[in-house]
Amino acid sequence: MSPSAELTREDVASENQGRAIVYNFLSSLFAKELNKDLVAQLTSGQGQDFLSSLALEPTLAASIDKMKTKLTKLNSDESLLELAADFCGLFLVDGRTSVSPYAGQYLNTELSGIEHAKKKSEKVQVFGEFHQQMTEFLNHSNVQVHSDFPEPGDHIAVILAYAAHLCLSASIENQLSFIETYLMTWIGKFTQQVSKHDHDFFYSAVAELTLKWLEIEVADLPKDS
Amino acid sequence: MKRRNFLKGILATSFTLAGAASVLTPLTALAKVGAKNRDDWLTTGSHFGAFKVKRKNGVIDQVKPFDLDKYPTDMINGVKGLVYNPSRIRYPMVRLDFLLKGHKSNTSQRGDFRFVRVTWDQALTLFKQSLDEVQTNYGPSGLHAGQTGWRATGQLHSSTSHMQRAVAMHGNFVKKIGDYSTGAGQTILPYVLGSTEVYAQGTSWPLILDNAKTIVLWGNDPYKNLQVGWNAETHESYEYLAQLKDKVKQGKIRVISIDPVASKTQDYLGCEKIYVNPQTDVALMLAIAYELYTNDLHDKEFIEGYSLGFERFVPYLTGEDDGIVKTAQWAEKITSVPADIIKDLAKTLVADRTQILMGWCIQRQQHGEQPYWMAAVLATMIGQIGLPGGGISYGHHYSSIGVPSSGAAAPGAFPRNLDEGQKPIFDNSDFKGASSTIPVARWIDAILEPGKVIDANGSKVTYPDIKMMIFSGNNPWNHHQDRNRMKQAFHKLECVVSIDINWTATCRFSDIVLPACTTMERNDIDVYGSYANRGLLAMQKMVEPLFDSLSDYEIFTRFARILGKEKEYTRGMTELDWLKKLYGECKKANDGKFAMPEFEQFWQDGYVHFGEGKPWTRHADFRADPEINPLGTPSGMIEIFSRKIERFQYDDCKGHPTWMEKTERSHGGPGSDKHPIWMQSCHPDKRLHSQMCESKEYRQTYTVQDREPVYLNPQDAKKRGIKNGDVVRVFNSRGQLLAGAVISNNFPPGVIRIHEGAWYGPVGDDGSLIGGAKVGALCSYGDPNTLTQDIGSSKLAQACSAYTCLVDYEKFTKKLPPVTSFSGPLEIGA
Repeated sequence: MSPSAELTREDVASENQGRAIVYNFLSSLFAKELNKDLVAQLTSGQGQDFLSSLALEPTLAASIDKMKTKLTKLNSDESLLELAADFCGLFLVDGRTSVSPYAGQYLNTELSGIEHAKKKSEKVQVFGEFHQQMTEFLNHSNVQVHSDFPEPGDHIAVILAYAAHLCLSASIENQLSFIETYLMTWIGKFTQQVSKHDHDFFYSAVAELTLKWLEIEVADLPKDS
Repeated sequence: MKRRNFLKGILATSFTLAGAASVLTPLTALAKVGAKNRDDWLTTGSHFGAFKVKRKNGVIDQVKPFDLDKYPTDMINGVKGLVYNPSRIRYPMVRLDFLLKGHKSNTSQRGDFRFVRVTWDQALTLFKQSLDEVQTNYGPSGLHAGQTGWRATGQLHSSTSHMQRAVAMHGNFVKKIGDYSTGAGQTILPYVLGSTEVYAQGTSWPLILDNAKTIVLWGNDPYKNLQVGWNAETHESYEYLAQLKDKVKQGKIRVISIDPVASKTQDYLGCEKIYVNPQTDVALMLAIAYELYTNDLHDKEFIEGYSLGFERFVPYLTGEDDGIVKTAQWAEKITSVPADIIKDLAKTLVADRTQILMGWCIQRQQHGEQPYWMAAVLATMIGQIGLPGGGISYGHHYSSIGVPSSGAAAPGAFPRNLDEGQKPIFDNSDFKGASSTIPVARWIDAILEPGKVIDANGSKVTYPDIKMMIFSGNNPWNHHQDRNRMKQAFHKLECVVSIDINWTATCRFSDIVLPACTTMERNDIDVYGSYANRGLLAMQKMVEPLFDSLSDYEIFTRFARILGKEKEYTRGMTELDWLKKLYGECKKANDGKFAMPEFEQFWQDGYVHFGEGKPWTRHADFRADPEINPLGTPSGMIEIFSRKIERFQYDDCKGHPTWMEKTERSHGGPGSDKHPIWMQSCHPDKRLHSQMCESKEYRQTYTVQDREPVYLNPQDAKKRGIKNGDVVRVFNSRGQLLAGAVISNNFPPGVIRIHEGAWYGPVGDDGSLIGGAKVGALCSYGDPNTLTQDIGSSKLAQACSAYTCLVDYEKFTKKLPPVTSFSGPLEIGA
């Protein structure tokens, strides 16, 4: 008996909605720096409830805790600017102490498939093959990267947002296949790099949360049906 | 599916982050259908060549040479790596401490520190506020916005024009005079031959090939340097070099290359070589002149009819003046050129038609004015100036000089200055007694020693007290000398603004960093064929500006909007309006002479060809009648002796060309006991100055263990236990760098080469990032200007003297530090 038989169609739909919310939430955190307004939402009752709900899952609790701790400290313009500088140094520039947000910088698409992780020194051009693949996926789904977000299609925020989109539109098999192929292949390395270079602990917590979340996804989504 | 109860909780909170970035949006019809003809090959151009580009899904896919370019450079393979570089400046950014504390920020952090992303409005407003502060507190002498360089090609988007016009709408500022390439040459030659010569069209190659029997390449490597040009190159000079190679092989033309290294041109042509000790060319030239004079081989009639002051020069040559007879034996000791070769060379030069082709390297040294002046004197003594295939040229290695010009009018450019009647907001011309223009290479001196008075080209220059600098499409952390001195100077600046495409070291040393798009991301027009002006090229936009970058036109239109002067700036015109205007004016100027279609047709065709030019001989008109066609010198004649320069009474640039010892010279010269090796930092073979060094895949075709190559003599390397492929530490008292050993017989004992343009990436001695901020840091990649000397060539030109530089080197045995040159700010800690 397939485990999904335990859930009704409505259950599945609402779970998918919940999953889409998580993917979109993670995407937002990687898309742009936190500002006063976003911090206010995250520290509001509703925001805290949301984070607490996520923390009910044991493997996510530690990262959520770290994030909550940092959020309470973001109470001045200067503290927000410091966090924005962390974001900038990690994700908006390229260098020895930064972390590329682009999947294509970790994966070599020219080899068979995309499973070959690159060696550390082999950073390639941006807007490469992986961007092309993501653009094709987006086009097939009748969506595109927003013009306010002028980044390649293989930016982590785009991939996570597209995963959210798939939660609401694609079969579980297709969702799983996308997650395994386009996120799990590199997110571990990405998370490791963020932990190594993050000045503070907020973005390492966000990256850790993303990795753990994806691990749950891969573990829990049915492999075939 | 396994039930996950916490998801229910999430749904129940109905939480979404309102106002977060919208990452995805429904596909628009435009993106779905795609722009018309998006898969066609489109044309564009660059310093590296004109080329065609094919796109795939809005991304540049293939680049191939323009049809008319028969000798494309392989640098074309680096173009994609420039555009899609991970180190693109993606957004406007401001150094955090500057954002918090403005002009009171901790400037010792500059070089590598925390930046934050800001909007264009925020960035440009901050830029304007900084200008307000400087103009209010210090006046125009506090601002230097004149340090400009090899902007990307294109007549409309030229970065220098946009930055200077827009900043001039705000207020006045300090500017430069001269440039790093030819500073000494372009200052001395107007006194001697009446024009800069270095940027003038020269005798056409077909006439040289038909008439010259001997060609002297003096410190000149055209085969290397003609790969890049000021405009879109089409590399026609290479056809003539191929013909020259044939003539050398057939024995029809002797090519003699006088050089301290075996050049790429020597290897290509298979020509004769005379090795000369570095920086000693003037001594060799004097000895040749002495041979000509004492053997009565000089052209007395030409000297009499076309020059002034030979009689004032002869006593110096014969030693009557200074007790030193400039014999071949005297020169042999200094130059290592055997006396009998010098004597032979003198005879060869006057045996038949001789064309002298000078390179630029030998004027980029202390007393760099002298070899150029003395070479002109030699050419005068030979007496063939103004004859086809005779005389002297200072530019045949540059930008298609020597390819017959089409004669067509070139298009104008976006104005660099204010329009007539326009006034800056801070309409203040009070430089507080300081000079408003300073020699190009002396700006670091000015920052370090404001108020100091120096001699320069017959005037006194008082250094302004510079507090703010603006760089656009310009990377002085490549082209200026002595990085450690630069670090000290940058600590004194209150605000630095950089506009560029990728994170150069200059950007890392800035406070406000603005992303410009590449030439591929905007529409423009340019001449192709450089000085030959072979035609006009449509530089078609291939892709939309990447990330949050903007064209130079758009950046400064927005800036002008903040100044309340947008309309004054743009004249109410769009990018397309400007292109049509520049094209239309060019069409009108060529009316009746060169057929040009309407703009729309031109844009569709991608280019308009002006056709072949007519061969031409430099100075032929002067030779035909020096009274009707005088040179631009004070006397109208070639000035072997310059009364004007003599009146300046400079000890380092006298009234006639003179051999002077250098502060540093290898092969037994001053300082060679301590650091015995001369470092040549010539123009690179695989870049345009520092442009394209960041293109990683292309860079990896020439790097050694990820480092810039250092070319070493086999015996010298062996003495130091260095093998091909080792990493080498090159050092002197000014600095240190790591580079990768390439051992080659092309480099004689006592000489090494590291091409300039290698990006600066300092680290500590221990390889730490934080150590890179310190004075004395180790360049992890191999930027030769970590070692060069920041002194003026003389009181005349005050030009860059990068070639007066001694070093030593050793095998690097410590743990190899990472290369830090090709990245954004590194956040090295407080």
